[in-house]
Amino acid sequence: MLLRRCTQGLCLISLLLTASALVLDNMAVLLAGGTLIAGILGQYLVFDRRLQEIVTSVEIRRSPGRNPVRKGTPVPVVSMITFRGSSRMHVQIADLLPPDTILADGITTVTTRPDPSLQTHRCSYRIIPVSHGSKQFAGISVTVRNLFFEDSVQLTRERDRDPVLVVLPTGLFAAPVSELSDGTRDNRKVSVRSGADIHSLREYCIGDDLRHVDWKISAKYDKLVIRKYAGVMSHPPLVIIDLPWNGAPYPEKEFNRMVSEATGMVRHTIETYQYVSVLIISGPNILHLIREEKNIPRCFAELREWMHPADRFVHFYHMPDRSDLRSHVREIENAAEQTTDTQMQAFYELLRNRYLSVLQFQRAPVFSGQVARTLSQLLMTDAYLFSLGCGDTSHIRHIVRPLQSRMIRVHLRIVDATHAGNYSTRDYPVGSPGVR
Amino acid sequence: MNYQLPEYRFLIVLGAGITGSTVLLAAPAWYLNIALLFLFSGVLFLTRNRPDRGFYLVCSGEPLVVACGIMNLWTGLFAVCMLAGVVCGALGILVSRGDLESYALFCGSSFLFALIIQVSNHVLLPLLALGITTAIILAARSVRTYQFRKQCTGA
Repeated sequence: MLLRRCTQGLCLISLLLTASALVLDNMAVLLAGGTLIAGILGQYLVFDRRLQEIVTSVEIRRSPGRNPVRKGTPVPVVSMITFRGSSRMHVQIADLLPPDTILADGITTVTTRPDPSLQTHRCSYRIIPVSHGSKQFAGISVTVRNLFFEDSVQLTRERDRDPVLVVLPTGLFAAPVSELSDGTRDNRKVSVRSGADIHSLREYCIGDDLRHVDWKISAKYDKLVIRKYAGVMSHPPLVIIDLPWNGAPYPEKEFNRMVSEATGMVRHTIETYQYVSVLIISGPNILHLIREEKNIPRCFAELREWMHPADRFVHFYHMPDRSDLRSHVREIENAAEQTTDTQMQAFYELLRNRYLSVLQFQRAPVFSGQVARTLSQLLMTDAYLFSLGCGDTSHIRHIVRPLQSRMIRVHLRIVDATHAGNYSTRDYPVGSPGVR
Repeated sequence: MNYQLPEYRFLIVLGAGITGSTVLLAAPAWYLNIALLFLFSGVLFLTRNRPDRGFYLVCSGEPLVVACGIMNLWTGLFAVCMLAGVVCGALGILVSRGDLESYALFCGSSFLFALIIQVSNHVLLPLLALGITTAIILAARSVRTYQFRKQCTGA
């Protein structure tokens, strides 16, 4: 409850009068001060009652333009706010945005003149979610003021916070600043190989290999100088980890084994190639990308944060890849040309039409585009995909195909949970059944 | 000056009442009441378009209430009620039936307060009564406000 400037002055006068009455022992002054206090108190009671009447009449109905939405994309929201005003009461109602969202444009606040009738106002705005997950609106803020007082109430009841905005993760990562134009990079770890290239010279330290001493420079400066060589090596493999869905049971033992193997691969890659990129997905949802991480503890900290069963906002169910469908159509057409049997030709025609109808109505999933955009920013010659293989695995094909198209060797490491007692990791050939 | 406005009606009644009581009671400082009445009327006229008009009116009206109260407590009460009418009329909060009821309640509580003052020998007793009553009302409202806010949060 805030006292407005006029009321603050009146309170001060009443206090002065009552204090003066006490000091002077004057009844007339007390009458003036006491009645002024009574007047302010009466106005407070009237204000409080009307505030509660207004607040209880407030209703809001929000309509997001789409739900679920993708992280980072603007979402239009229309809020219809209905309330019963009051005479001499100015009402301001603000629609409170969900956490981790930014107001892109539009207005979220309604300010009204004193009017005792039932009023409906429309707020139209766009918000941009900056993190994924389920986001509920924060509620409504109602601010009421009259000549003497001002107060604000936040409504955070369930009906004031609906609907829940589901924000999907996105695979649109920032473009890297690394050496994308070149196919190789300098290996600056101490190499026993010599003759490739020298990237620096430094003074000899105990333990250095004497074969790397640059004798000319050493003679010139009269001290031992060591060459540091820069060798050329291939890019490290990309590690892709497919996490299970937390909404369904999953084999915990196999999951732990997969985590262990993936972290081992990550450590080995950093130790061998000095950095690693890890793409963490859960079904057809890209969750996180660790890009060219050189620091093992930092990389492991990120892995600890992400490597657990995750929410899946998008699910696939036998979602064929469009390129595969097209190749099926081509194969069928070739087979139909080669056969002379009319029944077989009719069958091929039927099959071809089925595939074409699927191609016509099935759009390329967002996941494929995200994968392509993410992979286009990374350089690699190999990719390791760790998965439990439980549930629908058609998303794996959507990862494997773009990798194959870039001539990248894909090693599928699926911890077999379907066969009891078989916990070994298997390398699936890329074109094996169940993968394509 | 628009005599149809409620504040001017109350002002006329206030002026007539104070003048009458000053004459009837033959107050030695009669000129003070009249001077303060003119001061109040002047402020009422001059602050027509000013913000925080209620504050100016109360500031100029309270000396009149004190002067009338010194002359006679019931005249002071009359001045309080009329002053409240003028202020409410000037601020536009004397329009509906509910407003009139609130005004009548204020006059009634002022009458009770004046009655307590009348029967008291010292300021302390009515001041205590006023303080306790105010504290009880504020405490009750605070509890109710807390419950209301809790209800608003959905708890």
